[in-house]
Amino acid sequence: MMSLAAETQAAAALPRQPEAAASQAPVLVSVENLHIQFPPWNAPIRVVEDVSYQVRAGETMGIVGESGSGKTLSSLAILNLLPPPARIAGGRILFEGEDIAAKSQREMQKLRGRRLTMIFQNPGYSLNPLLTVGAQLAEILKVHEKLPRAAALQRVEELFRLVGITDPGPRLSQYPHEMSGGMKQRVCIARALLCNPALVLADEPTTALDVTIQAQILDLLEELKQRLGMSMIFVTHDMGVVARIADRITVMYAGQVCETGDKHAVFARPSHPYTQALLASTPRIDKRYAVDAEGRRERLPTVGLAATPGQPLGGGCRFAGRCPEAAPDCTRLVPQAAAIEPGRVVHCLKRGSAGVPGHG
Amino acid sequence: MTDQTIASHTSRPKPLPKPAKGIWRQGWQRFTRSRTGMLGLVLVMLVVATAVIGPFLAPFDAHDQSPMLDPGAKAPPSWTHWLGTDRMGYDVLSRLIYGAPTALAVGLGAMSIASVIGVLVGGFAGYRGGTTDEVLMRFTDFFLVIPMFVVILAVVRLLGVAIVNTPFESVPYLNLGVIILLIGVFSWAPIARMTRAEFLRLKNQEFVEAARCIGATSGDILFRHILPNALPSLVVIVALGIGGAVLAEAMIGFLGFGDPAAVSWGQLLYFNYEALKVAPWASLSPGLAIFITVLGFNLLADGLTDAFNPRAKV
Amino acid sequence: MAETAIAPVPEPRQRTSRKPLLSVDGLVKSYPLNRRGLFRQKVTGEIRAVNDISFSLDEGETLSIVGESGCGKTTAARSILHLVPPSSGTIRLGDTDVCATFSRDRRPEVLALRRQMQYVFQDPYLSLNPRWSVRQILSEPLRVHGLVPPAQWDGAVEALLERVGLPAEHADRYPHEFSGGQRQRIGIARALAVEPRLLICDEPVSSLDVSVRAQILNLLAELQEELKLSYLYISHDLSSVRFLSNRIAVMYLGNLVEIGEVDEIFARPGHHYTAALISAIPVPDPARQKPRDAISGEIPSVVKRPSGCVFHTRCPAALPICSRQVPPLAAPDGAHAFACHNPR
Repeated sequence: MMSLAAETQAAAALPRQPEAAASQAPVLVSVENLHIQFPPWNAPIRVVEDVSYQVRAGETMGIVGESGSGKTLSSLAILNLLPPPARIAGGRILFEGEDIAAKSQREMQKLRGRRLTMIFQNPGYSLNPLLTVGAQLAEILKVHEKLPRAAALQRVEELFRLVGITDPGPRLSQYPHEMSGGMKQRVCIARALLCNPALVLADEPTTALDVTIQAQILDLLEELKQRLGMSMIFVTHDMGVVARIADRITVMYAGQVCETGDKHAVFARPSHPYTQALLASTPRIDKRYAVDAEGRRERLPTVGLAATPGQPLGGGCRFAGRCPEAAPDCTRLVPQAAAIEPGRVVHCLKRGSAGVPGHG
Repeated sequence: MTDQTIASHTSRPKPLPKPAKGIWRQGWQRFTRSRTGMLGLVLVMLVVATAVIGPFLAPFDAHDQSPMLDPGAKAPPSWTHWLGTDRMGYDVLSRLIYGAPTALAVGLGAMSIASVIGVLVGGFAGYRGGTTDEVLMRFTDFFLVIPMFVVILAVVRLLGVAIVNTPFESVPYLNLGVIILLIGVFSWAPIARMTRAEFLRLKNQEFVEAARCIGATSGDILFRHILPNALPSLVVIVALGIGGAVLAEAMIGFLGFGDPAAVSWGQLLYFNYEALKVAPWASLSPGLAIFITVLGFNLLADGLTDAFNPRAKV
Repeated sequence: MAETAIAPVPEPRQRTSRKPLLSVDGLVKSYPLNRRGLFRQKVTGEIRAVNDISFSLDEGETLSIVGESGCGKTTAARSILHLVPPSSGTIRLGDTDVCATFSRDRRPEVLALRRQMQYVFQDPYLSLNPRWSVRQILSEPLRVHGLVPPAQWDGAVEALLERVGLPAEHADRYPHEFSGGQRQRIGIARALAVEPRLLICDEPVSSLDVSVRAQILNLLAELQEELKLSYLYISHDLSSVRFLSNRIAVMYLGNLVEIGEVDEIFARPGHHYTAALISAIPVPDPARQKPRDAISGEIPSVVKRPSGCVFHTRCPAALPICSRQVPPLAAPDGAHAFACHNPR
């Protein structure tokens, strides 16, 4: 196994990042006890329950979860972009010290697109098909920075170069449909960077792309983050992607936070049963799966994920219905944050969390 | 999957075995939540009820002109004549009630004809594709651009002349039948287009391909997989078409080309619009009846659209 | 397989038998490229979705076809089942000539062939008729093939459900009442109803949530062992491929560029595209983020296929010859074949 051996050596040769690299930087965004609900309001559906995390300046926070985990809603709340019936039912979102949840739409509009920007999952849907990409991006600069058209276009061209679009000049006058998916995503990244944002929210930005293109976009995002020093919230379902791009990770399940911490620590010592189960069950490209002489194949461990999800929202810990370690209290008490290591927090009664009675 | 997983699936006590819900039952559940749809349904049921039981309750016969003598023509509403009498001395309420079955016969009859032609043409075009599709759709376009009223009026007038002194003269409601037939023949094109679009969409759906993989025959695929899944959209467009057909017949009647033997709201308007100022009840009430019927079917179609929208939640 | 002395090479995975169940030889699927005129269409060229690929699949093994969008892996799979008729090439399943059987179109022969190979679809939300209950869905193959008398359909349906790990009581539910993973189980049960020998699985887990994927992959492994199934597994997700396959075939722009034993290919990819594909997959382990040799550029359009080696426009080791001459698919050591002028 020449190259596997070589891989391991190369990995060892890479300087291991200190596990709390960015912890000295000031906190840029602080989500505190965020609750998001859907109607009916007399018995609301609590899609996001008591979610808290912080993002420091210059840091990438990876939010991992499956569909229905609330990962996207909790991040859309930061932009005050919740889809209509959903609303924030409690908690604060502090951005540069101000509570975003309390801001008016007008105030948010000034912030959105400038200090706070977003990269969407499907670049095809988030660009206007009727305008050239140059015109669309220049328009943003005209609105936010009051730049004249020529100067705006020049700035867009610079950004195109920055995001690795070859031949940026002629690209300005292209329509979205004339571009490939990867190129459109680069345009969207350029759009997100137009006004030097403090925080970029990326919602599954590589899920719709092919793997070789995904690798290019991840490389680009990492490079941009280092060059521009912005913070990023990267929402994904892919443990591999988050291991690659994030500094810190928040794992979510059915609207609740399972654990938060430095990525090296979370991957090396997953604490929450859900994180453990998820990591154990994910098939890995760098692992040999044994097949015995009769052709019997090794199985993926699915302990803790066996039952189909379907626990009603509300009540205690929402993973309790599938959790191999669940105790009677787990379905009744919502686990609060418990610090297990410096910079690491887990929400699990079995890991020392205090429990408060749930709503269910 | 390990054995333990199967065990956890089977041994897990099911909280409550929900009754099976098909697309119609589910659609009905959503329909009942659509306010416009329910209003439409109520209006349509009102018209249907009038058509079915109305003739038994109507105070006067449809062709009873005796009120001409007592209160006289164009008499205002009274206890005997709730909606007054019209220019010809008929009781407006009775004529209105007898008009309901005509309206429904036109709406349902014309749309049955249109549905059969439309589904056959559109389904064939959509399923076969290629040149068949191209030819059939140009044919459909042709029917979309023909000015329906000009043709219908011409045919009705010519027919009226042609059948004089032939055995056809004694066929009851021949004129009305021809009108129904012609409205049907001229309104299948939108149904054909919708059917074709649905068949095109459905024939490449994975569940249809799955049936093909299993080895199901074309007949199976068409009638068991594609058509039932196309029906919800077709029901919507047919419901809209019924309203359209009722309106078309009313316009033909209003222009004086209706069936003299049948009582139709359009004809009531035709007979009475000149007396609009003197006896507004005689022309406004058939107008209102047409309005209610057409509105009812349109709202019903609206509700059905919502009910069968696959993206709507249960 | 050349054993190198640098690291101990583990035994290659067992191939349970040597009799090929499926053999595909020179499969081509091309689509005419039309320009629509007012009255008729003018053929202005063709798109080669699958360009002359050959491979064989042994009984009881899993061969995975991997590649990115537009590489032709799904078209190849659909050609084998005649969901799209192949343009040329021969496909044999056991002793049956697949293309000839479908073009003769004699129903008993076609049914006998269909019985031997079944398809598991990518999207469990689209592959089940929304109007049918699970019982109807699962009894359709029984009815079409007349395998079981109607009186025993209920029993057969329940047995199938339990076989894929669903409770038999769910037979009267409709697809929308199930989660994605459960629907995929129903799709697998439908394919199993005719007791096939070959299952062609087209991205069966890529639309499922990560916590459900492992269960479906385990189910596929379990079914393979118990029912002695062969799998043709189509996927872009190399990690599930690594778990489930004995051999993998890598496709790029309609061409088969590499084929061989799974561990051999992951350890020593011969083609530069395979290497790039493997290194592009993010590993869920921050400590093992290896230095990437990410390839630049984008996948060219199938309409304008590059000359010579289709990968030369993005290849880090392209030679002048690569743009002129198509490299043959050759196996220097007998088992692991790749098509490259300048192999790694």
